[in-house]
Amino acid sequence: MWAVIKKELKTYFYSPIGYVFIGLFLIMFSIFFYIDVFQYSSVNFEYIFYSGATILTFIVPILTMRTIAEERKNGTEQLLLTSPLSITKVVLGKFIAAALIVLITELCTFLYFGILCFFGDPHITTALVTLLGFLLLAMAYISFGILASSITENQIIAGVITIGFFILVWFLPQFNTAFSSFSLINLFSTFPEGQIDIANTITYITFTIMCLLLTVIVMQRRKSVR
Amino acid sequence: MIELKNVTKKYGKVLAVDDISFKIEDGEIMGLLGPNGAGKSTTMNMITGFIEPTDGEIIVDGYDMSRRPKKAKREIGYMPEGVPLYSDLKVKEFVTYMAEIKQVRRKERKDKVEKVIKETGLSDVKNKLIKNLSRGYKQRVSLAGALVSDPKILILDEPTVGLDPKQITEIRSLIKDLGKTHTVILSSHILSEVSQICTRVIIINKGKIVAIDTPENLENRVSNKNCIYVTVEDKENKMDTIKDRIKDIQKVEFVEKNEDGTKQYVIEAKQGIDLRKTIFSEFAKENITIFEMKKADTTLEDAFMKLIEGGKK
Repeated sequence: MWAVIKKELKTYFYSPIGYVFIGLFLIMFSIFFYIDVFQYSSVNFEYIFYSGATILTFIVPILTMRTIAEERKNGTEQLLLTSPLSITKVVLGKFIAAALIVLITELCTFLYFGILCFFGDPHITTALVTLLGFLLLAMAYISFGILASSITENQIIAGVITIGFFILVWFLPQFNTAFSSFSLINLFSTFPEGQIDIANTITYITFTIMCLLLTVIVMQRRKSVR
Repeated sequence: MIELKNVTKKYGKVLAVDDISFKIEDGEIMGLLGPNGAGKSTTMNMITGFIEPTDGEIIVDGYDMSRRPKKAKREIGYMPEGVPLYSDLKVKEFVTYMAEIKQVRRKERKDKVEKVIKETGLSDVKNKLIKNLSRGYKQRVSLAGALVSDPKILILDEPTVGLDPKQITEIRSLIKDLGKTHTVILSSHILSEVSQICTRVIIINKGKIVAIDTPENLENRVSNKNCIYVTVEDKENKMDTIKDRIKDIQKVEFVEKNEDGTKQYVIEAKQGIDLRKTIFSEFAKENITIFEMKKADTTLEDAFMKLIEGGKK
């Protein structure tokens, strides 16, 4: 599995994908940082992540849309699936690599934390809890993105399905409040308040596991229908 | 050793491979031969565990592919059709990656990667990105990826497609060398290739096995007649009576008249007799000038065409 993670990370940084992801996020984050700090004169690091979470909706597909679709299109999945690696390990490897990219991005945001330290007194624990929540949200998003990538060999379609799904669940509560717990992005809102909500954490983790499991099933099933 | 027992593969209602069984012993170079769409790649994909058969059993080196895929897959090096590669990686990185996912032990990894790069002649390009390589080199990278784990069994799907003649001979001799230490299965639709490299041939058509035999036996199986082609200048029209002069001739058949006035005939002799010497001396006595004389050779090509067409009827 380590081999898959290593190779995935390499492709993220040999191709522009990794830089585009991190770059786009930091540009958007900087804009929100500017608005929060200078327009609203707030030195709350965690508040920026309310807006920051919405960026994920649009940039996670950049990371995930190629993961499996590209292998399928190029035929390299033949190399992976005829190796002694199990499908579960392949999927997990790809998932962890994408999650690591998000983690690297999060580390970059400490730069903003440093700037805020200069002006005020931001709360480090709250910031860490926020980052944890942000990672959990990103993991849930990534796992769905990988699932979308496994059902098609066209990267664009995988990307569009992913964004479409994210936007749908984002705005579901607007139609009916009964759906509010389906909105992945809403679940995030408790974390910047500095509390790790057990229910929300479990929702994220189970959603992630479910998507990864479905991906494994999709790939397993393709073995017999391909 | 590889054994297939009553293996069937259906795609929806389409039968891609229809109830085939065969056994490949250690050290054989087995050629899988058939027209496009015959089920060659499907069969190979099933042996490597990439797809599952709808029915039947595949046993690789004593391990059932569907029950113990990990053990079975470890023994196989696979070079898929169309040489899929990670074009963003460098040659050495790709081969190392293949070694890792094939679970080559960490200690041996570096040496094995170096060794296989040398064996496949990739030393000059090992730090180049795969996407910048020519087709021939890509083929070698793919082969290196299949070889790096030192598998007992090598499966090569159309290994010489898209290469220039020089590269083809190089790859062929490489495969022949590999055959000394590995069990090899290769698919091809180039017949001369198969008859040169392989020790045994499986001919499949429309998902069914038409024949399994050595290339020589397959050729013999089709060539049951003992024929000689002659081109002669026969001014006195004595060819019609030649059959009476040479007793071993069974039949003389006129084929065509050439532009320069010579005529071509097929002379069929009794089994086991080489008539060429007699024809030479007798024709001279009859004042028939021989321009060309050739013993009819059946090639694997003939065998192939006959078997495939026979299957249709």
